[in-house]
Amino acid sequence: MNIKDVVLIALFAALIAALSLVPPLPLGVVPVPITLQTLGVMLAGALLGPRRGLLAVLLYTLLWLVGLPILPGGRGGFGVLAGPTGGFLVGMIAGAFVIGALVDLLLRRGQTALRQILLYLLSCVIGGVLVVYVFGVPWLALVTGMGFAKALAGSLVFLPGDLVKAVVTSVVATRVARAWPMQLK
Amino acid sequence: MIHSLYVPGASWLHRQPAVVKLGVLMAAGIMLFLLHHPLPLAIAAGLALVLLASARVPLARIWAQTRGLVVLIVALGGVLTLLQGWAATMMVLLRLCALMCLALAVTFTTRSADLIAACERALRPLERRGWANAAKVSLALALALRFMPEIYRRYELIREAQAARGLRAHPVRLIVPLVISVLKSADEIAEAIEARGFPPTRSQDPP
Repeated sequence: MNIKDVVLIALFAALIAALSLVPPLPLGVVPVPITLQTLGVMLAGALLGPRRGLLAVLLYTLLWLVGLPILPGGRGGFGVLAGPTGGFLVGMIAGAFVIGALVDLLLRRGQTALRQILLYLLSCVIGGVLVVYVFGVPWLALVTGMGFAKALAGSLVFLPGDLVKAVVTSVVATRVARAWPMQLK
Repeated sequence: MIHSLYVPGASWLHRQPAVVKLGVLMAAGIMLFLLHHPLPLAIAAGLALVLLASARVPLARIWAQTRGLVVLIVALGGVLTLLQGWAATMMVLLRLCALMCLALAVTFTTRSADLIAACERALRPLERRGWANAAKVSLALALALRFMPEIYRRYELIREAQAARGLRAHPVRLIVPLVISVLKSADEIAEAIEARGFPPTRSQDPP
């Protein structure tokens, strides 16, 4: 970890916080406006790499835990962790790591833009959706006592939105990585 | 732009050290999941509510944090009563209420700076083994706090610039320039920090 890495981690934590607070954006093809928090988390993994991505999301998590209102809707504090959505927020830390590791493994320079978008998409769906649900669904089941199957069914309502966010992240990551190439760490 | 959820005050809770409050909160979190009877859970929820009330936080501040959850609790309560009956539902809801009240009590009565200081103290054993560097952690925290409003402001600038040119808000079009501006700033900030001789080398350790 040199100073540049520390600065990147801090700035991406700040970026995730800023994106969590901006009003949801319309996307044209999708009827419901999308919130940008998940986008920021997936970008941290995809652009910084596994270790720095994880640390950026961990730093963001620490900042809302200590009471900064930087979760969507201006929430924050320990209460969120005890609530039904706590697992999804904790899962994002591991999710960013998995995205970074997959991107590091799959993406090569010289691949066509379409191929890169698809590989980013694969990484974001596995790390940013699957891994996050692996943490979030059992947590939801435990906190509410509703049982695993029902918690899963309830969470699947959010799946289409999360997949749309993974697509947007892939396009953004491909363009940024071409404009500002960076080594993943 | 971003203000902490901390509410200044002089209640008994305000005066307790951050480490103690965090420790009690964690212990309570574990205890509450070990209780499987409505009566002790009701007592715990009542105690938590009294504790939160003792902090003398304006009701509007509490409502702003719990509004979303209350809707969810009502919906969840309805579904659970149908699925598992009345007693099990009460237990889940009481546990949730107790945890929420305790967590809010800690959040409202403890300065963010004190909680961060508690985190840094928790890192000290890791630092002794060389797994973490407190100076770098502090730097990352300070930078993140400093640049949150800045990045939010940049996002608005980009959005306004695009709107002025007749472009509608679109995530890809907005976030690509935002992220590139962040990456560019990271280079400049890192150079500026290194030019000022950070991290400070301590006289007792060899370089």
